[in-house]
Amino acid sequence: MCRVERTLLPTIISIAVSLVGITGCTPRQQAAVQPPGNAAAAPHPDLSGFWNLDSKIPREESLMKRVAPNTAFLDDTGAKEFPKGEFGGLKLKPAALEATRTWNPHDQLTPEKACKAPSIVYAMQGPFPIEVFQSDRLIVIKLEYYDMVRMIFLDGRKAEESYPDSPTGFSAGHWEGDTLVVETTHLEPATITNNGLDHTGHVRVLERFKLGDDGKELLATQEFEDPEILDNRGVRFIAWRKQPGQHVFPYECDPGFAGNYSQGSDSPVESPGPAAAARRKTARSAQPRQ
Amino acid sequence: MFSYCKRCGSLMMALILTGAPLARAHHSFAVFFDTDSQLRKVTGVVKEFRFTNPHGVVTLVVVEGNREVIWRAETNSPSILRRHGWSPDSIHVGDKVTIEGWPARDGSKYLRMRSATRANGEPIGTPMTAVQEK
Repeated sequence: MCRVERTLLPTIISIAVSLVGITGCTPRQQAAVQPPGNAAAAPHPDLSGFWNLDSKIPREESLMKRVAPNTAFLDDTGAKEFPKGEFGGLKLKPAALEATRTWNPHDQLTPEKACKAPSIVYAMQGPFPIEVFQSDRLIVIKLEYYDMVRMIFLDGRKAEESYPDSPTGFSAGHWEGDTLVVETTHLEPATITNNGLDHTGHVRVLERFKLGDDGKELLATQEFEDPEILDNRGVRFIAWRKQPGQHVFPYECDPGFAGNYSQGSDSPVESPGPAAAARRKTARSAQPRQ
Repeated sequence: MFSYCKRCGSLMMALILTGAPLARAHHSFAVFFDTDSQLRKVTGVVKEFRFTNPHGVVTLVVVEGNREVIWRAETNSPSILRRHGWSPDSIHVGDKVTIEGWPARDGSKYLRMRSATRANGEPIGTPMTAVQEK
């Protein structure tokens, strides 16, 4: 589970090292994932490994029936995305609805935003793999999407007063039988449905994770509530399939991508005449020195 | 796409200058690309191939009528493409390729790539599953 391999990326290595530092034992000692000082207790399910999103896995009813009342089910996990004006049953407060009406999708396409990670509310259901590292006091989820790293504390700690908001927030988890329950706060405002609806910094997220019967599926519900913008709550069902031997890749987002939208795509190709050559020379000379 | 950005340029500058909060979002596939209409195929010579997240971009010189025009095709995340046989060396400048994809809703010469083939018909990479095409 915490075995550090030579092929792991530096980020993953640092995560594994952090786990050792926090738990005070070697990675091999953590492999049993068993609560310390309680040898009789059954070990918790081991969620560790590389998991790739699989939207064909049916909803897990044992998780769905634990979803709180007044919660809309958002059926947009994986490939699906709601078009503008559709929010999967979420009931938007008037100000939030008005914001979605004036939302300009091209506002997303700036160098300032092209590489800004969404929060876990949108990121967890995206079509990217995750990798889980687990100990008895801390679970780390490395998302490939935007290189996001989630720290889920199992030691009962609370976020200190000055804990900053971020795309991953502050997550506290505990086990309820075979289910990992995670509550997350301190999230920065970010999109919920990628079509103009953003949650505020006061959003609260509740996730339940459990293994499928064969241990090859990771099943989760992600509920969220944000009374500042919503009159009801939302939930997504998210499922991943285990793919042993793989690791998440670095994302290393390039904000230069946003420039594609400002270059103009329908202009004729420049002819190879002298004037064009002069312009190209001028353009080259304007490049910064490497 | 060009006309889009001319229109949104002043808005973007206004937002930046006024310090409006930068809501975090990956640009929307559903909003930008028309998945209801038929897939479009474009054949051209590669002028540039960018293989970086959040999306790669293939820039093609395409002959339309009696003139050459630029088409751009945005790819899925290179992180995902790598698991389907793609790499930065999959396409080189000067290669002739055909790209099939979803057209931009604004009618500009911009696609979201679904598949790509070489001039000899050889597919580049392996097909995506539906879940990976977001």
